[in-house]
Amino acid sequence: MLIKKGILAVALSALLGSTAYAQQTIKIGLSGPMTGGSAAMGVSMRDGAKLAAAEINKAGGVLGKQIQLVERDDEAKNELGVQIAQELINKENVIATVGFINTGVSLAAQRFYQEAEIPVMNNVATGTLVTKQFMQPEHKANYIFRNSANDSIQSAMVADAVKKAGFSKPAIIADSTNYGQLGKADLEKALAALGIKPVAVEKFNIGDTDMTAQALRAKDAGADVVLTYAIGPELAQTVNSVVKLGWKVPVMGSWTLSMASFIDAAGANGEGVLMPQTFIQTPSTPKRKAFIDAYQAAYKVDRIPSPVSAAQGYDSVLLLAAAIEQAKSTDGKKIREALENLDKKLEGVVTNYDHPFSATDHEAITANIPVLGTVKGGRVVPANPADLEGANALRVKPKS
Amino acid sequence: MQNFFQILVSGISVGMIYGVIAFGYQLTFSTSKTLNFGQGEALTLGALVGLTAVNFLIGVSLGNLWAYLIALPVVFAFGMLQGTVVEWLGVRQAIRTKSEAGWIMATIALGIIFKNMAEHIWGKDPIKFPSPVSENPLTIFGVNVRLMEIIIVLGALAMMLGVELFNRRSIYGKAVVATANDRDAAGLMGINTSQVITFSYGLSSLSAALAGVLIAPITLTGANMGAALGLKAFAVAIIGGLSSGLGVVVGGLILGITESLTGFYFDTGYKDVPGLILLLLVLSFKPAGLFGKTAIKKV
Repeated sequence: MLIKKGILAVALSALLGSTAYAQQTIKIGLSGPMTGGSAAMGVSMRDGAKLAAAEINKAGGVLGKQIQLVERDDEAKNELGVQIAQELINKENVIATVGFINTGVSLAAQRFYQEAEIPVMNNVATGTLVTKQFMQPEHKANYIFRNSANDSIQSAMVADAVKKAGFSKPAIIADSTNYGQLGKADLEKALAALGIKPVAVEKFNIGDTDMTAQALRAKDAGADVVLTYAIGPELAQTVNSVVKLGWKVPVMGSWTLSMASFIDAAGANGEGVLMPQTFIQTPSTPKRKAFIDAYQAAYKVDRIPSPVSAAQGYDSVLLLAAAIEQAKSTDGKKIREALENLDKKLEGVVTNYDHPFSATDHEAITANIPVLGTVKGGRVVPANPADLEGANALRVKPKS
Repeated sequence: MQNFFQILVSGISVGMIYGVIAFGYQLTFSTSKTLNFGQGEALTLGALVGLTAVNFLIGVSLGNLWAYLIALPVVFAFGMLQGTVVEWLGVRQAIRTKSEAGWIMATIALGIIFKNMAEHIWGKDPIKFPSPVSENPLTIFGVNVRLMEIIIVLGALAMMLGVELFNRRSIYGKAVVATANDRDAAGLMGINTSQVITFSYGLSSLSAALAGVLIAPITLTGANMGAALGLKAFAVAIIGGLSSGLGVVVGGLILGITESLTGFYFDTGYKDVPGLILLLLVLSFKPAGLFGKTAIKKV
């Protein structure tokens, strides 16, 4: 009996101890792939988010407490993302979560946050559906926010670039994941709006190493430009197969054409591809310069593996921290309300945020913010340098 | 017509890779009636060891091609060693106790361990493998082909011919064949069958490692590169027949070519389907495989 009481006392004190500890830090979940083909994006996102958390903590934290990022590797797998969401919500008691690189994982996992009324800041996943999964009025409130350029923005930019360059017969090559297929649908829609119909729409699986059949079908259909929706390693196989056929055709696609794994594996074949970018690793504003310098110093790299993910990862923590500060609480509902009416003007890496969200608009990035990037000398540079010069460098969301 | 040959060529080079890996399954199955389910990981490790060796040799200012050629024996030796380890740790005990399934779990477990080791040593990101030959395509009779794709086919054929010659011409090879034919009788004739089985495991991993360094220059090297290939090759081994060396090569070609042809003439989204349908058909009508000998198991 005595022993039982002793155990109870120990358990109780451990419990009290852990709550006491929890009160000293503010736990924010971070879910992204640290392994596999999407790892460059997940790791850059995490490292960007950690930089922001470290800066905030150095300046005294949020509500007088330190931010603690609870990092988890979802391996870009939907089922693992779901498990992690439940763990972060129920076991780690996070008050908000940043992350999700893969649209599929995001769509599968974020319903748990929605149910638990915990805000999620999607900082990389681009599927158009991501912020629309729990729209009002079907749902009382939407807890899903995003600070990346969604696929309808990106596909419109790509379609626009196709039209401007005078191409009329695009071929779309996309992977079979949620990302590739939803993006493909957006791209078809954006092209149709401009009166362009793709002459071929091809598909491949993650891990495929030979895209000769896809490239040859596109070539046979008489395509004058190849549009892609996939991730790094397979994108490289795609352009390698195009070049192998001796087919000289311009390649454009979603922002993933900026991934280091694509640039490295495609080598010379990847030069000149075009893609929308919210952030290009070039010090076009003082904030961007400070961010690039800090990233390079902290992680001892010259080229950020995925600069877009790093910048958006950084900004996502910035946005959340400001909302928690404004809410004066760690209650999910209050944080959501603060995000939807964020009074503090924030200087971010991607853009400056001034009331970035409203109750009905959960997208911080608008169509005017991304610029077209291209690969040159193994690095992503602006396709039109004027896009990031002078007054153009900082593009902000228009006031609604 | 030109398109047909273009697709055929890419199907053949993919199919040859499947064939080499499946050949590894066949090697161990013929001597011991067991398989290394970590064959995909043996491929991964071979490619990664090759990557390190090639990068080191390029570092001491050797050309890409020489670096590749000198790295090959290192990869072979490593593959041999890795297969031996698998046999010692995972299979030997199961064979001795006549366990039906012990080796399955053991080789899968070892495969996972090897993969985790690879992730730990080489990181989790896919890495570019320096190509030993020019990456520009050649045009032969109007068909564009990368030099490395030709090397894949030749390398795979050389490997299988080498093993075949060894089995037919050398006294050690005859021991392997004898063990494959009847392990108990071979044992009674004074052949050290357990040594033969160890050797066949080494050779099996060697062929996987060779497949790894052959495809690495046209894909990316990484801890996850072998998983999908190992599985495809298993399907190939079933289609071709686990007891026939020729069968797995033909099986590999059948799968590689049907994949490419379906992708081109039908729909790229259904590329993998005909191969799997073929697998099901073979399993229902000729379970020993297209070229396999039907074995009667007396109980």
